[in-house]
Amino acid sequence: MKNPFRSFGVFILAAASVSVMTGLSPAWAQDATFVLNARENGAPSYNPIKSTKVNLGMRLIFDRLVDQDADQSFHGLLATSWESSADGMNWTFRLRPGVKFHDGEPFNAKVIEWWIPQFKGTPNAFMTEAIDRVVVVDDLTVRFVMKNPDPSLLFNLATAFMGIPSPKAYDALGDRFGVTAAVGTGPFRLESFTIGQQTKLVRNDDYKWASALSKNRGAAKIRRLTLREINEDSTAFLELKTGGVDMLMGVSSDFQPRIRDEKSLKLVVLPGTEVFYMPINTSVEPFTDIKVREAVALAVNQKEIMSGLFGNQGAVANNFLISSLQESKIDPKFNISYNPVRARRLLDEAGWVVGAGGARAKAGVPLTVKLWTQNGTQFKRITEVIQAQLKAVGVNAVLTIQDPASINAMYRNKTDHQLAVRSYDYTNADILDWFFSGKRLGYPNVSMWNDPKAEVLNEKAMKGSRTWEERVTNFKAYHEYVQSQWVYAPIYQPTQTFAFNQTRLSVPDTVRGIRMTVQSIMDVEVK
Amino acid sequence: MFGFLIKRLLLLIPVFLAVSVVIFLIIHLVPGDPVDHLIQIGSSPEQKAELIARIGLDQPLLVQYGAWFMKVVTGDFGDAIVLRRPVASLIAENLPHSLWLGGLAFAFSTIVGVATGALAAVYKDSWIDRGVMVLILMGSTVPSFWLGLLLILVFAVHLGWFPVSGARNWTALVLPVMTIGLQGVALVSRVTRAAMLDIARKDFVLLLHAKGVSRREIQLRHVLRHALLPVVTILSLRIGWIVGGAVTIEFVFARPGLGSLLITALNQRDYPVVQGCLLILAMAVMLGTLLGDLLQAAMDPRIRENMQ
Repeated sequence: MKNPFRSFGVFILAAASVSVMTGLSPAWAQDATFVLNARENGAPSYNPIKSTKVNLGMRLIFDRLVDQDADQSFHGLLATSWESSADGMNWTFRLRPGVKFHDGEPFNAKVIEWWIPQFKGTPNAFMTEAIDRVVVVDDLTVRFVMKNPDPSLLFNLATAFMGIPSPKAYDALGDRFGVTAAVGTGPFRLESFTIGQQTKLVRNDDYKWASALSKNRGAAKIRRLTLREINEDSTAFLELKTGGVDMLMGVSSDFQPRIRDEKSLKLVVLPGTEVFYMPINTSVEPFTDIKVREAVALAVNQKEIMSGLFGNQGAVANNFLISSLQESKIDPKFNISYNPVRARRLLDEAGWVVGAGGARAKAGVPLTVKLWTQNGTQFKRITEVIQAQLKAVGVNAVLTIQDPASINAMYRNKTDHQLAVRSYDYTNADILDWFFSGKRLGYPNVSMWNDPKAEVLNEKAMKGSRTWEERVTNFKAYHEYVQSQWVYAPIYQPTQTFAFNQTRLSVPDTVRGIRMTVQSIMDVEVK
Repeated sequence: MFGFLIKRLLLLIPVFLAVSVVIFLIIHLVPGDPVDHLIQIGSSPEQKAELIARIGLDQPLLVQYGAWFMKVVTGDFGDAIVLRRPVASLIAENLPHSLWLGGLAFAFSTIVGVATGALAAVYKDSWIDRGVMVLILMGSTVPSFWLGLLLILVFAVHLGWFPVSGARNWTALVLPVMTIGLQGVALVSRVTRAAMLDIARKDFVLLLHAKGVSRREIQLRHVLRHALLPVVTILSLRIGWIVGGAVTIEFVFARPGLGSLLITALNQRDYPVVQGCLLILAMAVMLGTLLGDLLQAAMDPRIRENMQ
């Protein structure tokens, strides 16, 4: 008599084989959990129009008109093509057909006509400030009539803040939009959101309009994606190690060697979008003297910081912008690099002579300056090294460390600070305006720099450029002038890193876009 | 007793008023404001000024306090500025997590602490006593942050018995409860042991021994009962801590809770949230103290007499 259990076992094996061959894997096998980069934790809502803090989820729920690649090029997403008039006063966008919101409503030109005015009165209003009105040309064509040329329009349209929500849902939910529900056209729908904890997303099975930056142009391969917010680096690492999560969207430098040691884990390094720098308060002594400013800037040994603190990972910063931006490619003579010999000579010329013990003084006043930074391991470490580097040229720096909110308020007192170690994370040359415009003295213009020539160059770069190329040229000119005035010292450009469990996930070798974000997540598969 | 209770409840009103003023002033006098978290790179100073006016931060402090307090007395904690939703709903989302974590840790530390303290007192100078003293020393000196990570390493990573972090189900509570509980055990155990040793030296205990009452009955029915009075005092002071004292643990274990909410709001200077959370914490401490007093009165007739 045949063994019934053996027959049953064969049956099960056959069924399993069939299901594998037909791709009917168990539902849970298509689920993944990612831990957000700690910088993105605490986003209060999924309302792209009103939010000032966004996370990865925003890009997964809402599509934008365009997408941006790492080489700064733009690719169509909800727009298939666009053109600008020669004077930059009209932009015409052709929209992708067949796109629907998660609530079934159609995406068309009327949506864009509704959408742009929604920004008025919101923190993101400046993104659409240059648009005078939206003209519906036909169901799938819109024209932006501009108040003034805005060559950074495409950049703005590619940001997560310009994800397009469903007008019907947005109007119906009012202030609750993005809190209890969020409706876009993106590859994932919002299932639930607990602020500061996690976001649960489910695949939009109708999705078939990903940008050319994704290999997979159809529905995402992950069925259910949970985005967790974990503030403690150790906890996040241990979750990845034990399989509690599948990917960390940011990995602190302390844990990168540990991840490299784990066979099941893989660390991926991408070019960074952050710059560490040291603003110099140009309005207080001794930094009203440009020689002293130049001296402290040249005292910063960027290479030593990169090698000593970050294991040679990343890049030194020699100017204010990330190196992938065209506007960072200024005349090399304006780049700022470590030169202690020149730093000492400049201080001598400025009258700060070396006394007993190596400390400098002028007319009996010691060269002691305040060096501020915010709390956080990286900031503290970098600041301590800079303190030592300044001491090596005879500048005695006294450290003050505060939480970010307090220190930003303290900068607004304008004359209390002298030097500071700060960072920013931004991928547009506009950042020069934000940190050095005379309209924002104190904070964010911590350098307290208000220079008439700089203001003219800034205005020309921000509002006087008709085309992208013109904009690059004008920003380079402004950037070079900023460099020439020694209002800050560039320090370091960290890399971006993410890590994943390679036994669980298949991740494309090439990550498109500026970060590991929706374009590449479309191609991520759960094994 | 009833009169005492009414008097204490009425006293809570001026205390509540004073606490609300202190809470309001503290957060408003600390440098920083929520506006930095509401403006974008690229926004103009005029937009910032408009935002400040819209939120009402340009009003005099007294006006701001009055507006907030009038809402609070009607049960409305206002709307979070940065987190953009009613403060009451934020608290309602997070408070249950804190209550579960804090409550279980409180119960754990009370039960285990009293038991180990009593054992140490009964078996004074034995290996049991020494073991408990080591436990007390470790619990008092080991930082909770470090202890939490150690427990994660042992029980979640190496043994795989519990999840590393999160709040998905009851298993995610075990390690955080143990982390907080073990530190509470140290305190309760120390107080119990000291109190029992103190009571054991009293004349009435000597009399009980002379009367031939069993050692077990003396310890459990007489000595422990008297020793619990100072323990109740300590525990009542820790009741407020149940609600918001687990910030570090919530951070390490990535758990929701009132402590985490408070820290997030503090970093963002989200005034209504900070004020709401601190008010809840203050009320918890006030009510906890009152409860402790009532328990003590219930346990000790001398205290009841004084009240009357």
